[in-house]
Amino acid sequence: MSEILLQVEGLEAGYGDVQVLWGISLKVARGTMTTLLGANGAGKTTSLRAITGAMCPRGGKVVFAGEDVTWLPAHAKAARGLVLVPEGRQLFNNMSVEENLEMGAYSRRARQHFRQQLDHVYTMFPRLKERRNQKSGTFSGGEQQMLAIARGLMAMPEILIIDELSLGLAPVVVQQLAETLKGLKASGVTVLLVEQNLHLALALSDYAYVIAEGRPFLEGPSAEVAAKPEIRQAYLGL
Amino acid sequence: MIGILASVIDGILIGAVYGLAAMGLTLIWGVMNVINLAHGAIVVVGMFVLYMLVSALGLPAYGAVPVMIVLGFVIGIGLYWIGVHRMIGRPELMSLLSTFALNMVLIGLGTAWWTTSPYNVQVNMPSVSWRGYTFTGTHITAAALAVVIAGLLYLLLYHTRIGKAVRAVATNREAAELCGIPTTQVLAMAFGLGVALAGVSGTLIATMFPFTVLSGEAYQLKSFVVTVLGGLGNPAGALMGGIALGLIEGLATPFMPVSWIPIVEFGLFVFCLIAFPRGIFSFTKA
Ligand SMILES: Nc1ncnc2c1ncn2[C@@H]1O[C@H](COP(=O)(O)OP(=O)(O)OP(=O)(O)O)[C@@H](O)[C@H]1O
Ligand SMILES: [Mg+2]
Repeated sequence: MSEILLQVEGLEAGYGDVQVLWGISLKVARGTMTTLLGANGAGKTTSLRAITGAMCPRGGKVVFAGEDVTWLPAHAKAARGLVLVPEGRQLFNNMSVEENLEMGAYSRRARQHFRQQLDHVYTMFPRLKERRNQKSGTFSGGEQQMLAIARGLMAMPEILIIDELSLGLAPVVVQQLAETLKGLKASGVTVLLVEQNLHLALALSDYAYVIAEGRPFLEGPSAEVAAKPEIRQAYLGL
Repeated sequence: MIGILASVIDGILIGAVYGLAAMGLTLIWGVMNVINLAHGAIVVVGMFVLYMLVSALGLPAYGAVPVMIVLGFVIGIGLYWIGVHRMIGRPELMSLLSTFALNMVLIGLGTAWWTTSPYNVQVNMPSVSWRGYTFTGTHITAAALAVVIAGLLYLLLYHTRIGKAVRAVATNREAAELCGIPTTQVLAMAFGLGVALAGVSGTLIATMFPFTVLSGEAYQLKSFVVTVLGGLGNPAGALMGGIALGLIEGLATPFMPVSWIPIVEFGLFVFCLIAFPRGIFSFTKA
């Protein structure tokens, strides 16, 4: 087993009086792709937001590259390479593609590699290069998702966390993005993926965690998890 | 006929300065959804900075402009941490109350220091004559400086990293934070910028007109009219809204007593709120 890049222990989080997460734990080894699965409302987005600091966790621990980062603000985590591509893309719609990418590389560490990384993402997504001066608000869903991933990559992620890769996208586009992820993994980027499409998620990933109602439900190598009957149960929301 | 034209042109010159003041108000709203009720008091700070630098220290009048921009920025960041930071993301009433409190404190301090009697700073600028009509030099200079400062703000927001970060935070704060942008610092900076704009507009107004510690209220209200004309949260619209307001004032002045001008302005204010709730010039957003 290679080095553990991200380790989450007993994570708790919620909104107002409602607690959503009741002790989520997971480990992501460097260079692997891990997926986090669960029914709608299971707490996947909440987990990712609490891990990356988009919301404040209520308890538990997030250790990233050997450092306890639980209480760091999101921008400090992003600067360390713990990067989230959020659900719903959350682009800066009244800014151009290139400005979105420039914002992605805001941290000092990412800024130093800006030019080279920009070339890299433009090679990966030539469509974005063609439209570099257009505002992202006018884009199709697939183009927006490409830009969201590209913006995440501009931050020079040690781990790229993607929430809902394929939501609302045409099958062809999903296939294309899946190829992109495979390429990323091959180039050594660690990925934590949340994905509605169970088959896609299990096919792409090495290891899977399934959560239900904010609690751990099942985990194992993706191939084994795919074969377990309980996984359907979790997906139907019990 | 030419009398009205002169009055309108003068109105437009003054209106550019109103626009600059309103830009400060609208920038803060656009970035953090806070209506800064201390805006008028900041305008007054700008006026008294001119008075202090020129009358007390003997500096050249327009030297106060860059000083006020820097000072306003620093004061703004201070006010952000004192009275605004903890209100971010809370109901708008909270920030209204806290900035109103800051307004009262500033006006109270000003009254204790300078009383409420009128002050006047004599600024000598040659006036410009055109077809037998004279345009006041200070009005022309103030308008030109207002346009230059607005242009600098544009360059900052659209052509610098930090300015782009301000726009990113205005669009989607959470996404900006996830990109590695320290959004709290950006908010403090944007508040500083807004205050600097309000303050420097006060400095420019004080080169044109006499003022008192209580003058801020009138300019605060004018800024509201301007932002309603230009669309709240839209700095480019604010400049045009300011010029429109100045133009209307210039048009109205030859026909009615000065005391009627506010009635026209606020009639317009209510009309715009009902007819153009997004502003007349709101085709772009910061
Ligand atoms: N902003 C919010 N305020 C209050 N409750 C929320 C909020 N966001 C999510 N929740 C609640 O938290 C629970 C978990 O939501 P979360 O978005 O984490 O689920 P998810 O697993 O990502 O679901 P999906 O597959 O639909 O994206 C749900 O019951 C949801 O209603
Ligand atoms: Mg979700």
